[in-house]
Amino acid sequence: MNCDLNDISSGGLAERLAPLLLRVERPSRYTGGEWNAPLITEGGTTVVLAYPDVYEIGTSNLGLSILREVVNGMDGASAERTYSPWVDMESEMREAGMPLFSLETHRPVGDFDIFGITIPHELTYTNILNLIDLAGLPLLASDRDSGPLVVGGGCGTANPEPIAEYFDLLFLGDGEEAIVSLVETVARGKAEGWSRARTLDEASMLPGAYRPGDYQVSYEADGRLSGVARRDGAAGRPTKNLVDLDRWLYPRRPIVPFCEAVHDRLNVELFRGCTRGCRFCQAGMTYRPVRERTAGEVVKLVEELADATGHDEVSLCSLSSTDYSRIADVASQVAEICRHRQMIMSLPSLRMDSMSAELAARLDRGGRGGLTFAPEAATERLRNVINKPISESEMAEAIVCSVREGRRRIKLYFMIGLPTETDQDVEEIAGLVYRLRDAVRAEKLTPPSFNVSVSTFIPKAHTPFQWCAQADIETIRRKQQILKSSLRARSVNLSWHDSEMSTVEGMLARGDRRLGRLVEQVWSSGARFDSWTEHFDFDRWMDAARGLGIDPGFYLERERASDEVFPWDHLDFGLDKGFLRDEFERALEAGLTADCRQAECAGCGVCERLGTEPVLKGVAADG
Amino acid sequence: MAESGAQPLRLRVQFTKEGNARYLSHSEYSRTLMIAARRAGLPVEYAGMKMSRMKVSLSPPLPIGITSESEFVDYNLVAYMPAAEAQQRLEQALTEGIRPVQCRLLGADARPVGKLIDTATFRVDLPAEAGSEGDWSGAVERFLEKNSVPYERVQPRRTRVVDLRQGVHTLIIEDRAAEGDGVRLGMTLDDGIAGTIKPWEVVEVLAGLAEVDRDVWERARVHRTGLFARRGEKLVSPMELGRTKSAAGRGARGGKY
Repeated sequence: MNCDLNDISSGGLAERLAPLLLRVERPSRYTGGEWNAPLITEGGTTVVLAYPDVYEIGTSNLGLSILREVVNGMDGASAERTYSPWVDMESEMREAGMPLFSLETHRPVGDFDIFGITIPHELTYTNILNLIDLAGLPLLASDRDSGPLVVGGGCGTANPEPIAEYFDLLFLGDGEEAIVSLVETVARGKAEGWSRARTLDEASMLPGAYRPGDYQVSYEADGRLSGVARRDGAAGRPTKNLVDLDRWLYPRRPIVPFCEAVHDRLNVELFRGCTRGCRFCQAGMTYRPVRERTAGEVVKLVEELADATGHDEVSLCSLSSTDYSRIADVASQVAEICRHRQMIMSLPSLRMDSMSAELAARLDRGGRGGLTFAPEAATERLRNVINKPISESEMAEAIVCSVREGRRRIKLYFMIGLPTETDQDVEEIAGLVYRLRDAVRAEKLTPPSFNVSVSTFIPKAHTPFQWCAQADIETIRRKQQILKSSLRARSVNLSWHDSEMSTVEGMLARGDRRLGRLVEQVWSSGARFDSWTEHFDFDRWMDAARGLGIDPGFYLERERASDEVFPWDHLDFGLDKGFLRDEFERALEAGLTADCRQAECAGCGVCERLGTEPVLKGVAADG
Repeated sequence: MAESGAQPLRLRVQFTKEGNARYLSHSEYSRTLMIAARRAGLPVEYAGMKMSRMKVSLSPPLPIGITSESEFVDYNLVAYMPAAEAQQRLEQALTEGIRPVQCRLLGADARPVGKLIDTATFRVDLPAEAGSEGDWSGAVERFLEKNSVPYERVQPRRTRVVDLRQGVHTLIIEDRAAEGDGVRLGMTLDDGIAGTIKPWEVVEVLAGLAEVDRDVWERARVHRTGLFARRGEKLVSPMELGRTKSAAGRGARGGKY
């Protein structure tokens, strides 16, 4: 059969893939060949980077794009992509006996040197196991003595313990430098004929590397961890990597998918890290300190990438874009570029206390009309508890500014189940939304429609709330009912996250290695795409937990003692555990901690431990 | 990008859809052509800021898996750009499998290509195991002898019976020469404003007549060789049409199928 799919080597699967493509939904998920897709023509050290979800979600991931271009910029190395095949494709592949393949050369993943999997969140764990299995590799790292090194990274490494034993190696923190050293190590190993075990030993010594197999976890009789012991001769405590953004390559040729991806736009990263100190936010803690890209570089990237992609939207992304030290300047220059190129500009993660009228005017001019804000909690007391002290007048001003600039839809994110939350705090969500609507009316403007999205608070590792109990499913359901009965207005659309999904996510978020058996059992009973409501099956998780004698309440509903050993304590993200505990105690008293960019050092420990400091490159965009 | 006071124009482009591009759905293909116009810097007209509001008209959808040498797109332009320059820019801006074959500038009042096309020609290359030319020529003859060929068309929301015979204008066994062992069929089908008969539907009926199994005929390769507007007995290419609305002939009608 004549085959057009790229298939450079004799090991390519393109010919076998072609008939399958005609039987699945959206075959373009598996063909590759998009704009800017890397053209792989030679071997060398081969890397395949995987996102454990469907193509449309994975292709938008900025981290993997960065790593792919970093590797493809190296001599004698290449990086390709793979994603979780959708359920129809998986069943075709399994029936045809076809292993997981890369999109660029359609080679089996098992033939690569490095199989990198990003860990985006807990509900992708079953997909991660599925990727390893589809690649034809034994699931557990300890059972693998051949094939690629299975390496993990990404924000899920904050507590990778439930799936740690399935990875040969994990890397903490920024991945740019780490992947270069890893590829160099593997290349040296290939050149010198090292065994897989020797290569793994050498790679485990690299900065930021964490080899789960080097650690032995022990437990108390009541189930709590008693300790995590490092194997003799293993590398020191795994400590996260940090890079200077301006010194590292930013993807100059982002892939433009044929289909509409979840983030169907050009992403330019303004900065990494955030020191606002929201106590629920894991990224805000683990990505510290703030490291900005220079303003001139941001503007240059927007121009360059607009040419390279043809996208009609540019997003200046970060954990809190309006906190970028020269946001007004950069937004104004980028808005000008957009005006000439028939593009719109968007800023995700807008903070209501830094939304100025000027910025509102620049955003997404004449665009689709929606803006999203995250007050998180409806009462000032509760916002103080989470250390996100935005006043109601600031919120009203942000909404009024946005509506004045033509916004017709405002999305507001809230959380329920926060520590110290009362029923009144939940009822107040309705009160706040109505007051914001009235504030718009008071300005003689037509109120926008409000989409109120309410998620369930899940305590995460390396945050001040890591000691908290998570609200149980009945409490969450009751609070959702309070919301439902209190928020009844035609212009308000209320949605909330599935409380069952939050239960599973919460259990895994602070889980230990014993939960690996649970994930594996749920996966083997058919669980895939757990973050998709149509695929998530709560009973499957609970049945498996019961069968294995695992009590979800132990992980969810138990407030941890102040001296509890956490499964992630041996992973160093620079944060001082004492600081997190102080923050937790301050939270219970609704006390605030200021952002170290504006006030004195809060003592989180990151700068001291990692020998770094916040990088605020507030230089003029033209200089 | 927009230049005020410019003469509105329409750029008609004939594209291919081959190689990997055959796996693109119609919406993916149209999105790809819109991004290509942006990357090529064509002065395209928009009804709003977003790309989805780009003013384009596309020829009838091509089912996934079928290749084509003749897909058409009209881009509304807000400024003049020579057709040759547009073609060259598109060539550089496109991805593998999609290539601009020819470009032509039309007046803004020309009938959009999506409202012109009513007929398509296809070439079907059957695998060698699908039987001999004799088996298939018998099936073709029997098909053409019939006054009506009812076919149950199963769609996501409804299933209904359509008469394939009405939409099949020509059906022949073509000479495949040195290109392979299997039988090659050529067919001219209703496709576009008057309703659509899909080539796979015709192949399925013919295979039934020739007693060929589904797993064999499903491996046939189908290629759209042309899209046309019927003018009496003549098939006219959209590249030769569309000077003005009055030249459009039969106009939009309700679908027959």
